[in-house]
Amino acid sequence: MAAPTSSSAGVPFSAIERRLACYLRALWGRPATLRDAGRRARVSIVAGAICMPNIFPAGAGEGIALHRAAAAHAAAHLVHSMHRFPLAKLRPIQVAIVSLIEDARIERLAWQDLPGLRRLWLRFHVALPDAIPNATSLMARLARALIDPDYRDHDGWVAKGRELFEAHGARLHDPSMSREIGALLGNDLGQMRMQFDYGRYLVEPAYRDDNAFLWEFPENKSAPPPESEPAVLAGTVTLETAGAIGGDRADQSPDRARREISPPQAVPAMEVPEAPPHRYPEWDYVIGVHRPAWCTVRERRAESGDPRAIDEILTRHEEVAARVARLVRSAQVGHAARLRRQVEGNDLDLDAAITAMADLRAGRTPSSRVYQRPGRIRRDLAVLWLLDLSRSTNDVVPGAGETILALARAATAVVAEAIATADDSFALHGFDSSGREDVGYYRFKDFDEPYAEGARARLAAMTGQRSTRMGAALRHAGHLLSQRRTARKLIVLVTDGAPHDIDVHDRWYLALDAKRAVDEQRRAGIATFCVSLDPGADAYVTRIFGAGNYLVLDHLRRLPEKLALVYLRWAAA
Amino acid sequence: MSQPHPIGQYLIRTEPYYRPTGDEVELYRAAYMVRMPMMLKGPTGCGKTRFVEYMAWHLGRPLITIACHEDMTASDLVGRHLLDASGTRWQDGPLTLAVRFGAICYLDEIVEARQDTTVVLHPLADARRMLPLEKKGELVEAHSDFQLVISYNPGYQSIIKDLKQSTKQRFGALDFGWPPRDAEIEIVVHESGVTPDLAGRLVSVGERARNLKGHGLDEGLSTRMLVYAGSLIAQGVEPLAACRAALVGPVTDDLDIRDALDAVIKTFF
Repeated sequence: MAAPTSSSAGVPFSAIERRLACYLRALWGRPATLRDAGRRARVSIVAGAICMPNIFPAGAGEGIALHRAAAAHAAAHLVHSMHRFPLAKLRPIQVAIVSLIEDARIERLAWQDLPGLRRLWLRFHVALPDAIPNATSLMARLARALIDPDYRDHDGWVAKGRELFEAHGARLHDPSMSREIGALLGNDLGQMRMQFDYGRYLVEPAYRDDNAFLWEFPENKSAPPPESEPAVLAGTVTLETAGAIGGDRADQSPDRARREISPPQAVPAMEVPEAPPHRYPEWDYVIGVHRPAWCTVRERRAESGDPRAIDEILTRHEEVAARVARLVRSAQVGHAARLRRQVEGNDLDLDAAITAMADLRAGRTPSSRVYQRPGRIRRDLAVLWLLDLSRSTNDVVPGAGETILALARAATAVVAEAIATADDSFALHGFDSSGREDVGYYRFKDFDEPYAEGARARLAAMTGQRSTRMGAALRHAGHLLSQRRTARKLIVLVTDGAPHDIDVHDRWYLALDAKRAVDEQRRAGIATFCVSLDPGADAYVTRIFGAGNYLVLDHLRRLPEKLALVYLRWAAA
Repeated sequence: MSQPHPIGQYLIRTEPYYRPTGDEVELYRAAYMVRMPMMLKGPTGCGKTRFVEYMAWHLGRPLITIACHEDMTASDLVGRHLLDASGTRWQDGPLTLAVRFGAICYLDEIVEARQDTTVVLHPLADARRMLPLEKKGELVEAHSDFQLVISYNPGYQSIIKDLKQSTKQRFGALDFGWPPRDAEIEIVVHESGVTPDLAGRLVSVGERARNLKGHGLDEGLSTRMLVYAGSLIAQGVEPLAACRAALVGPVTDDLDIRDALDAVIKTFF
C-alpha cells in the first residue's frame, strides 16, 4: 500500500505539517502541537510539542509515510506515556532498552484501538535475524519482534524479550512494566559483553523519537527541558551539531526562511495629509445648544508594527476565523433572489398575474409587472469600524488572559480578513482623546486601500491610551463616511465603556453629546451601531444609540463572531 | 365509490426502521398527546427525518413533509389562488392540508426559510391552533390530530439564519446527536447489510473523522454517510474505494484534510 505522495527524496515536514496535525487530531481527538525541528535525525518531544525533523536523513524511509508514522508514534507517547522514569542508577544500555520496551508498550496500546497503525509502523521494521549480533542490531530485532508476530528470530535474548513482554500483556497500561523488563534485558545484554556506544546510538526504526522526554534527568527534575536543549538521552546524535559545523544550520522551515528574507520593515504609514485639524461642535445638554467648533480632531499617523502578529492571531483563532469566513461567504452566495413583479422575466409571477387577471375582470387597469426572474440583490454598503483606543482597553479581561484591546484587535483582524474579499468597502479607524482640543484619530485601513500588509501592520501596532470623547470621533467618522458614494453607510463603534474625558466631570454630558451625534448622523443617512464590551453598558447605550442599535457582549471571547454578525445583519438587510 | 381521503397518500404504510437512542420515542409520544409543536435539533444525517417518519407510522398519522428553502413564501405553505376556466380557484398549500385534515406537518430545515415566512406558523403553534388564510378570508381551525414538527440544524446554520425567539419559544425541543457507538453499528448493519465487524470499522472512521469538525470539516461525517459507504461495500466495492467515495469526497476538497481522512480510513481498513 503506497502512501499517496511518496518519493525517495522525502517530503519536507513544512509541506505536510497541516495534514499531519489533522491526522493526529482525527485519531486522538485532541490538538497536537507539531514543530519544525530543522535538521535532526529523530523526532523529539519537548514540553508536549512534537518536534519533527524537516527531512529525515536519506535512506531512512520514504516521504510522508515516515513523517506520519513518526507523528503517530509521538502522539501515542503523549497519550500513553504519562510518567517519566527516574534515571536512578540505570546504565545507558538499560535506559535505551527501557525506552524500547516503552515504545513497544505504547504502540501496542495505540494499535489496539487503531489497528491500521500497526501496519503503518511495521513497514519500517526491517531488522533481519541474520544481522551481525551487536547491541544495536539486537535491539532493532527485539523492536521488530515485539510488533511483528510473524517475525522469527533464533537469538535467545530477543526471544526472552518477546516472552517477557507477552507475559506482561495484561499490564499494558502500567508503564512500570517497561522499566522492569528493560532493566532486566539491559542487564543481560551487559553480561553478554555487548559493546554499546551510546554516543552514536540512534533509535531504530527512524520513526521512533529519541525518547528523551521519557526520562527525568537529575538536573532538571522539576522543569521540563527547554526547547533549545539538545536531546540528552544517552548521546542521541542530532544532526544539529553536524550542521552547525558545516555552517548551514537550516532549522528554519522554508516558509519561515522566506519571511526572514523580508524583515518587518517600517511599512510606510498611510499618507495622512497635513490637513488642518478638524473642528466639530459639541452638544451641551445643560444649555441645550451646540457649542460651535468646540472639539478639535487631529488625525495622527498610525504606527506600524509587525504584520506577522496578525497572522499569529489568525492562527490562534483558526476555528473562529474559519467560522466567520464561512458566515461571510454564505451570506454572499445566499444573495441570489427571485425578483418578483418585474416588467419582463422568464416566468410568470403567479401572484402578480392573478391580481392582474382579477383587476382585468373587475374592469380595472392591470399592472404590467407580472413576471419574475432570478436575480441578485446588490448590496451597496460602506462600513467604518471605529475602535475605541482609550487607556481602559489595556485592562485584562478576567478569564481570557488578554487585554480588551488585544481581543478587539483579534476580532477586528478576523472580521477584516473575512470581509476583505467582500465587495463592500470598509475602513478601520480608531480614536482616543485628551480634552476637547485633542481628539486623536487614526486610520488603520482606509476605504480605498486594500487590506494588505500595511493595514495589518498598523492594526498590529495599535495601543490604548488616553480617553474616550465619543461624539467628536463619531462626527469625524461620519464626515469621512459621508464622502462615500454608497446607498447605505454604517459606523460600527467598538468600545469598552461610557464616553469620558479628562476635562468633563458631568457623567451625562459626553454621553448625551454622543447621542446627539448619533441622531445627527442618522438624519444624514449614516447608521451607527455600537458593540460595547462594558457589562454595565445597558445603563447608557440604549440612551445613546437607541434600542436595537447596540450589542452588549456578555462574553468577550465571542467578539469576532458577534462583529461578523453585526456586519452580516447589515450586509444582508 | 367512496372518495379517497384527501391526505390518504401521506399515510406511512410500512414501519420505517428507527433505532431509538434514548427516551425520544416516549417524549415525542407524550408531546403528541398534548399536540405540542416539536423542534428536532441535530446535525444533518443523524436521523431526524427518519424519526419523524417512524413516529408518524407509530401514531398512525399521515405525514406531510415540506423541505424549506430560502425562496419559500408564505403562499407556498398555505396555498394560493389559481386560475381556471371559470375564474380563480383556491388551492390549499401543504400546511393548510395538514391543518384541515389532521396530519403531522414536518418542516425540514426550517431556518432555510425566511423569518417572515415562518411567522405564519405562530398562530398554529400556540394555544390558538388556527391558520388564517388571509387571501381567501378563511380561518382554518386545526384538526384535533394536527401537529407541527420542525427540524433545525444548529451546526452549520449561521447566526444570521436563526429562528426568531418568538418562533423558538413555541416549540418543545428534542436534541439529536450521533448515536452511541453500538447503536450506530446496529444502524449501519441494518441499513447497508454489511457485517457488524465492517460496520464497526466504518463507525470508527466516522468517530475519528468527527474529531475534525471545526478543524477543517464543517460538519462531522453523518450516520447516513456511513450507511452509504456500507451499502457500497455490500455491493462488492473495495472498502477503501467505498470510503473515499462515500465519506471523503463529499465533505471536503481540501487536500490536507482529504489526506488525513484517507490515513484515518487506512487505520481501520
